[in-house]
Amino acid sequence: MHGVKRTRQSREAEEARKLKEQAKLKDYLLLTEDLLSRKKKKDWSKEAFDLATKLLHSNPEFYTIWNYRRNILINGIFPSSSVEEINSILSSDLSLTTSALKAHPKVYWIWNHRRWCLENVPPGPSSPTGEQTQGWRQKNWEREMYVVERMLDADARNFHAWNYRRYILSLFPTPPPPTQELKYTTHKIESNFSNFSAWHQRSKILPLIWEKEGKEREEEMRELEFDLVRNALYTDPNDQSAWLYHRWLIGPHPDPILLTREITSIQELLSEQPDSKWCMESLVHYTLLLISLTPETEREEMKSECRRLLAELAGVDPCRKNRYQEISERLGV
Amino acid sequence: MASHYDVIVIGTGLTESITAAALSKAGFTVAHIDENLYYGGDEASLDLDDLDQWAKKRSAASDKPLSSPYLQAQAEKFVSISAVASPPPHSRQYSVSLLPSLIPSTGPFIASLIASGVSRYGGYKLLERVAIYHSAGLVKNVPGSKEDVFKSKDLSLVEKRRLMRFLLFAAGDFAGSKELQGHEDAPFIDFLRTTFSLSMDVATAITYALAFCSAASDPTLPALTRIHHYLRSSGRYGNSPFLVGHYGGAGEIVQGFCRVSAVVGGVCILARNILSIKQSPPPEGHPQPTYVVELEGFDEPLTSRLIISAPDYTPFLSNGTSQDNTHSSPPPFSSRRVARGVIVIDHPIYFPFLAPPSSDSDPIVGASVSTESMITPVDTAVLVFPPSFLPDGSSTTAAHAFITGAGSMSAPVGIVNISLPLDGAGSSPPDAKAILTPYVNATMALTKRPSSGDVVSDPIFTLFYIQNQLLPSNSENEVTPPLPDLETCFTTPPISPTLSECADSAAMNAEKLFWKAVNALKGHPTHTPGQGEEIPEGQDLVEIESFWPPLETIVDDEGDESW
Repeated sequence: MHGVKRTRQSREAEEARKLKEQAKLKDYLLLTEDLLSRKKKKDWSKEAFDLATKLLHSNPEFYTIWNYRRNILINGIFPSSSVEEINSILSSDLSLTTSALKAHPKVYWIWNHRRWCLENVPPGPSSPTGEQTQGWRQKNWEREMYVVERMLDADARNFHAWNYRRYILSLFPTPPPPTQELKYTTHKIESNFSNFSAWHQRSKILPLIWEKEGKEREEEMRELEFDLVRNALYTDPNDQSAWLYHRWLIGPHPDPILLTREITSIQELLSEQPDSKWCMESLVHYTLLLISLTPETEREEMKSECRRLLAELAGVDPCRKNRYQEISERLGV
Repeated sequence: MASHYDVIVIGTGLTESITAAALSKAGFTVAHIDENLYYGGDEASLDLDDLDQWAKKRSAASDKPLSSPYLQAQAEKFVSISAVASPPPHSRQYSVSLLPSLIPSTGPFIASLIASGVSRYGGYKLLERVAIYHSAGLVKNVPGSKEDVFKSKDLSLVEKRRLMRFLLFAAGDFAGSKELQGHEDAPFIDFLRTTFSLSMDVATAITYALAFCSAASDPTLPALTRIHHYLRSSGRYGNSPFLVGHYGGAGEIVQGFCRVSAVVGGVCILARNILSIKQSPPPEGHPQPTYVVELEGFDEPLTSRLIISAPDYTPFLSNGTSQDNTHSSPPPFSSRRVARGVIVIDHPIYFPFLAPPSSDSDPIVGASVSTESMITPVDTAVLVFPPSFLPDGSSTTAAHAFITGAGSMSAPVGIVNISLPLDGAGSSPPDAKAILTPYVNATMALTKRPSSGDVVSDPIFTLFYIQNQLLPSNSENEVTPPLPDLETCFTTPPISPTLSECADSAAMNAEKLFWKAVNALKGHPTHTPGQGEEIPEGQDLVEIESFWPPLETIVDDEGDESW
């Protein structure tokens, strides 16, 4: 029969695998014991270094060993190495951790180790006139940008990668212009706008650009941002990241005309998508904001609209029922 | 060479070849016959010289008495054939598919490709784009994903919301939903406009470029089912739901299935005319007759207990049996005519999208997307002409132009395959070339680089014809014997002619045929062990559990968790 042989085989394979696992576990525990005792004895040898590397291969989250390994470098290996050798060791460590990141993209200790490597790259190489250039560092930073971009291609929502990206950008003595970074976030948002980090990055970069470009240009660009985020809201009203960005754009002290316009836009969206919780929630928030900018006498209609929305929200989002009721009560005062 | 087989499969079309491969792999002895000197039958991929010969053989048919009932059937199927220009040199660099096809990334066809091992023989590429002809020299992109909808500059905010609502509905579980109730047979485009309040533009794009409908009357439920399938297929290998096979698509894949059959012992005979097919009384102990197939140039006839045949060979069956000819019934399938054009180009095609509004060109915020399409040509794409979009084109049916370029390995620059279903029955046969010329001109207008001084180029070879296509029915009982007394003789049912559906249709037909054959042959296989296979002790019967047997895979040793 066709099926029979194969199951028999894989049962055997299962047993073999289990035996292998037991052997691996035993080796791991022995290695751990060995390294921890070496650490206690302050063993800074190359042998210990290599053993640590081996252990971190199987368990990159063992931060104690990362620390120990760095101490070996600082106390044992670096003092007896030339600047070139140090740079080369750190470069190869960076390569090593690149592979580690591919398998474990969210382990804090790997990202941490990369930062440490970058910070410890010595100034160099020396130019013909004997000056220290930033050559090695520059080369590493550029490579880091490349690595981070690949990581973000694989997972655009990995906040470790975004944080690291900001860190690298801050290291460059001549950093790339914010407009370039803005284009990068545009690219990421266009491919999938359900990405808190990309919008967040935008909210960090735009103020830098606006500062340089001046008030008029800021107004123009804000309009473009509203256009962008409105497209996201209409395409997927369920995506919270776009709503958060919208709220940031509005800011704490918006112009009442702008606010009214946005409220109208959201009301249109709500009429297309009557069950959208975020629409209702945002309308309440913005209307309350508008109320605070409106003279007392014209507030009543907006207040009753808020109350109506809050009642509906309590139905659509019963987990937060009490919150909506509380807001509604405070309105009545 | 043995002369008795479990099954003789006549015709090496896609359905027949998948079936033959599956039956061979299941342990049956299979002889596979085709009168043509190439594999593939009506789904073959031919180089230009062979294509030229193909056309000549079928258009010369009316002049002289035909050498074979098969060719007669072919000449009735392919009419109004006209070739413009003789084939250019280096004909073997081209591979023209007689059945243009897209392979959905999920579905019965790709499942069979993988399970049979045929996928390992060939290469595939992702379809780049589907676009809709807008007006002279301009096309519109068709949004098929959330990303497309978000980025689109052609849709208003409200249109985006409504389109997303529809896409979510179609991707979800709509069977029995209140939106669909009562509308299953209504025209799909009307359903979109009324139930989802979609604008005419958007509804047109969905109907003809997402669902691949061919007319405004096409019903809702099948179209929705297709869209559901394609939405679910998107993302498996990339942004598009569809793969395109290298070296000519379906025709190349057919050869893969024939090879699979041969590897496990199947015999394939090409380029021999069939002289006769007769029945002889069953051997002792068997309830079914033996079929005797005489081939030209063979001393001994081939015999088998079962025949699976492409429809164009069935005249042999009614002529060849000792039964009364008056029993031959017409196939229970409806048919339609489709105009087809094969256009070989030596300048690539560009898809210049409508110019984006000014916000996109803002120096700081502007996206860079649209300009890219203005300078790079498309390689593998579908261009859709909805009804009435082309002034001299059809006002009732849609044309689909399938462009395959150098990246698909089917031509040095490209081949365009145009299909336009024809409406109604005219008394005089329509002129394929005249009908398709407006579409050819519109397509060739896109060989000019946008905003440049280029001149529109001409095709280096064209072939036009009308194909009378049988359409699949919805009934379960499609696989029926052509004659009531031939229980062990099956004709392959028609494949859906839709560009995006034909491959899956062939795979599903093949699977039905496979099980019918297995049941008919049950209990008395002539089991020839495949390579390396042992017949377990005490068992001389083969239990067939699945369409394809498990593939030999290299067992991956998990090993160390190395980075």
